[in-house]
Amino acid sequence: MQPSPEVEELMVRYQQGDGAASTALIERLSPQLYRFFLAQVVSRRYADDLLQETWLRVHQARHTWRAGEPLLPWLYALARHVRVDHYRKARRVEDRERQVEELPEKSAVPAPERWPDVERMLRELPESQREVLLMLKVSGMSIEEVARATGSSAGSVKQKAHRAYEKLRRWYES
Amino acid sequence: MSPEELPEILPDEKPDAALVARIAAAVAGGARPVRPAPAAGRMVVALLSALAATSAAGGAALGFFGVELLGRGAVALIFPALAGFALLAAVASVNAMRPGSRRLFRPAILMAAGCAALAAVFFLIFRDYTLGRFVPQGLVCLRAGLVWSAPTGLAVWLLLRRGYAVDRAAAGLAAGTFAGLGGLAVLELHCANFRVWHIVSWHLAVVPLSALAGWAAAYFFGSKRRAAELMQ
Repeated sequence: MQPSPEVEELMVRYQQGDGAASTALIERLSPQLYRFFLAQVVSRRYADDLLQETWLRVHQARHTWRAGEPLLPWLYALARHVRVDHYRKARRVEDRERQVEELPEKSAVPAPERWPDVERMLRELPESQREVLLMLKVSGMSIEEVARATGSSAGSVKQKAHRAYEKLRRWYES
Repeated sequence: MSPEELPEILPDEKPDAALVARIAAAVAGGARPVRPAPAAGRMVVALLSALAATSAAGGAALGFFGVELLGRGAVALIFPALAGFALLAAVASVNAMRPGSRRLFRPAILMAAGCAALAAVFFLIFRDYTLGRFVPQGLVCLRAGLVWSAPTGLAVWLLLRRGYAVDRAAAGLAAGTFAGLGGLAVLELHCANFRVWHIVSWHLAVVPLSALAGWAAAYFFGSKRRAAELMQ
């Protein structure tokens, strides 16, 4: 699951203006980013939007990554803020629509299209724990990388992951 | 279930290939060479140099009355403490502009802890607890401190404008704190009023007020951008 140094090389070439490298990078990393978004509180349609928005921000901020630094924390720091911004924007739009149309049942985050048990359990976790768990176990990042991506300490990441594992275990066994 | 099983248990859904191709085509179309941002260490040194330069300019413009009257011991305590605080604020500012950087401390906590540490240094050094003309003299210092924070703030903006703040409020707070330290340094060089309450209240107030201004500026520009996005 860990990206090889090849991904970092692609990023360097992307910074140098190589369009083929950017395409290869997007094809390599989009599946794991998509899984990261999809496993959170969004539908497939919203995951598509978030994926597009994330690559747009990567493009805008590509000069802020430096060769020799790990790529995933940088990428996921952008991705998680895309998700946060999207959530805030959706809430504002929802509030406006409510004021104008009085449609309280209309939600900015539509009902999920699929609810396997594990996903439902993941959704029950607090957002910060779910995010850490997905980065560690689904995206294959190290604790230090997750700490960088979430702007927190390694100790805090370990604690959140431990709590998330405990909750998942309890739910799974019950 | 063990945590290790999670990747296998979760459905391995992939994004639509057409969508990925569309994103890749759009990005490749705009893939022009960019100059990577300088190393964090170089940015920190540049920020500290800017702060030293603006403080020296402020001291020269207003007069070095304060530092001339301070004892060597006081100078040896106040300015290293200020420099240490400025170093941490510079690191926080640079990290806030680079996605995925190590965050050693939250900018708000750094600002509060740094101000408390400086207040402790001032209480240790100065012994005059009289108030004198507390408000009139204080307002003069507060104004001068805020005015001389502006050049440091401008330097921060010039040096970090190519960064990309994922958390604009934190980035603004860190930059504002750093700029405020420029104003505080000018006051310590210039002001010869060594009353404890004057220094702890009016001099130190420059730092949180400047931090607040940085936060407000980041919030304002962030809101404008979000509003523009909403209109799309």
